[in-house]
Amino acid sequence: MSRLTRRELLKSAATLGAAAAIGPALGAPAQAQTTQKRELVIAQGGDIATFDPHMSTSANEIRVSFNIFDNLISRYPDGKLHPGLATEWKLQGQTTWAFKLRTGVKFHNGDPFSSADVKYSIERTWDPALKTRVNTVLSTIDRVEAPDATTVLMHTKKPDPLLPARLAFYAGQILPEKYAKSAGPDAFNQKPVGTGPVRFVSWTKDDRAVLEANPDYWGGKIDVDRVIFRPIPETAPRIAALLKGEVDMITALPPDHGERVSGSPTTRMAGALYAGLYVLAVNSKRPPLDNPLVKQALSLAIDREIIVKELWRGRGIVPNGPIAKGDNHFDTGLPPLKYDPKEARERLKKAGYKGEEVVIETTVGYTANDKPMSEAIQGMWRDAGINAKVEVVEYSVRAQKNRDKSFKGLWWSDPTSTLSDPDGMMWRLLSPGGPQDYWRHPKFDELGEAARFSIDEKFRGQAYKEMTAIFLEHFPWIPVVQPYEDYGLQKYVEFTPNPNQQIELRRFNFKLRRA
Amino acid sequence: MRALVAFLGPRLFRALVALWLVSTVVFVVMRLSGDPVPLLLPPDAPRSEYARVARELGLDQPLPVQYAVFLANVLRGDFGRSIHFREPAWRVVTGYLPATAQLGLTAFGVALLVAVPIGLLSAVNRNSPLDHAAMGLALIGQSAPTFFLGILFILVFSLQAGWFPTSGRGSWQHLVLPAATLGAFAMASIARLTRSAVLEVLRQDYVRTARAKGLPELGVVLKHTLKNASLPVVTITALQFGTLLGGAVVTETVFAWPGVGRLAIQSIYNRDYPVVQCTVFVSALLFIVVNFAVDILYGLLDPRVRPR
Repeated sequence: MSRLTRRELLKSAATLGAAAAIGPALGAPAQAQTTQKRELVIAQGGDIATFDPHMSTSANEIRVSFNIFDNLISRYPDGKLHPGLATEWKLQGQTTWAFKLRTGVKFHNGDPFSSADVKYSIERTWDPALKTRVNTVLSTIDRVEAPDATTVLMHTKKPDPLLPARLAFYAGQILPEKYAKSAGPDAFNQKPVGTGPVRFVSWTKDDRAVLEANPDYWGGKIDVDRVIFRPIPETAPRIAALLKGEVDMITALPPDHGERVSGSPTTRMAGALYAGLYVLAVNSKRPPLDNPLVKQALSLAIDREIIVKELWRGRGIVPNGPIAKGDNHFDTGLPPLKYDPKEARERLKKAGYKGEEVVIETTVGYTANDKPMSEAIQGMWRDAGINAKVEVVEYSVRAQKNRDKSFKGLWWSDPTSTLSDPDGMMWRLLSPGGPQDYWRHPKFDELGEAARFSIDEKFRGQAYKEMTAIFLEHFPWIPVVQPYEDYGLQKYVEFTPNPNQQIELRRFNFKLRRA
Repeated sequence: MRALVAFLGPRLFRALVALWLVSTVVFVVMRLSGDPVPLLLPPDAPRSEYARVARELGLDQPLPVQYAVFLANVLRGDFGRSIHFREPAWRVVTGYLPATAQLGLTAFGVALLVAVPIGLLSAVNRNSPLDHAAMGLALIGQSAPTFFLGILFILVFSLQAGWFPTSGRGSWQHLVLPAATLGAFAMASIARLTRSAVLEVLRQDYVRTARAKGLPELGVVLKHTLKNASLPVVTITALQFGTLLGGAVVTETVFAWPGVGRLAIQSIYNRDYPVVQCTVFVSALLFIVVNFAVDILYGLLDPRVRPR
């Protein structure tokens, strides 16, 4: 008992309680399908710390900031890029992107939006005096020009095919130059002003962030008058709040709780395939992990189907390589990663593996299911004759090991595909000097670099195909699962989750069903 | 006056030493257990960024220097700026304090108001069904983990019965379940202790005398017994205050109550040293103040410890 963590105990308590709670006794189903509410309450697993969109990359915070602010370009839940504050964009020559801006847009304080705000916002991301958390995101840009009020030209240092995608994610939110400059970063954070569909009203830390609909939003006023974000850190109370109707939407619904939500007559579950992968990253410098044959065996010895079925309750898919499904250049012809323990043993024999220890350093709850998956994989590896060991590390220890590159073997990483493109995931993390630079291969490096700066999509596709082949021989990551990110919703909420974790409340994606 | 100084002086000194020790331990433990800088930076941040942030937070200084700066600042009431919230740690913590005070005092008050009469009734009606029922409940209250009780309360009284909101802070209804959860442990132990203390006193000669001279039973119990039984109860109550502060960490997390306990947990995860230090300091200060007050209360209750 003493070896159980509090979180695990909480989980089992919740499961116990779930058996006791009689679902169907709740609410009146006939009424629950529609609502007259003018307020939307969203419960997240954690609170926000900042409203300044350039000061954060965390999922809980971007869910708020992407609604207070607009980007030039917007990535819809369908994964495609759509006009935002820019109505058109095109590449001129090799290195100049031209943007035509939307006219008649006003910030929440009444200031008109113009190209000067765009120039200011982009330059603000890398302003050394401000120390933003997104200072490297737009570093391919050399300079920004605003020749007239509705035109912006961005000159990149080298050809950058992914600039529109970069502008659609964090760092790309547009701030009002005049107000942001005069208020300064602290005051701006306390009273943020954007052009987005909701505007800031108040924030009580760890209690609630209150936002109200922007009546003059250029994309049309959203379907409610107020939006409230509440943090409810523990899973069981968060689900209870949804089942009882106190909140309309919850994030981070764990797979083993999905049935409670979909089993209730008033609520439903909605998920999006995560724009990224859950992988065991590998320190390929440590023997025996420097031997590709050993890593191939590690991959072959994992029964991913079982992991998806049992630990994810089917809420995930087995990856087929380093590129997430839904991304550019995802190869639909490639079969899912194979489970073949016999072949794994063969390759271990060929590699001359002599029972050296293979360590998974896992966190508990840093990513969903990290510890249970580690334990399952440890068992599978042992069955295949691998001397596998699981060690538990704390979040900050993981962060430190990440920085020092001092992992003993394998560790969990949940790379997000920030650009819906291999460049924003595989190459961002595995490139030379990148955060997970533990393995080098001249051809892989050459292709990655060339694909980053090529505006020829056919060439890029071929390059990523070849890189995938090299990847599948060397396994700098061992991809394990591409899970769904699930949300719990009241049935009257019409909403499609976005794979990149933002909550899109604009009119095209969010509506309450009225009687 | 001299007597008062002699009485209060050593106690005050001990309180200050305790406060200093607590802050030092927190300072050391936080620094031994991890570095906040990697948590603040994106994983692909270059080394120069790391050095810049470390410098900005004063973490590039040797530990003794950091410690000296820390102590000097604490004396001035300056706990530094929160790494996570980017505002003074003191302001962050005091912002969360009212919620915890509301929850803690309610839990404490309810615990006392319920526990003392129950303990008294149990003692007076020893071995009656009432006694057994009360002590059985107390056993559960004392042994059930806070988070279990909290989730159980949510499922039963909120989700099933629909009487109270599941979580959050707002109306008085929001307060009921977290206060009951938080107060349960203190309530149970105070009730049990009241019972045994009262039983002890009921056996004393002066109680027999009081009864012998024909005082009404109620007078015997309230005047002669309860007052004399109150010394151990006051002691345990003050100590329970510490348990209550600890319980607030879990209770506030389960009920999404925006209080200091939850702030402490999150700040530890975030390695937000200034806030953790300030939170622990404030909690220790509260605990010490309460126990100091109890020391004084002793003097009022028991002439034997009163300064002469």
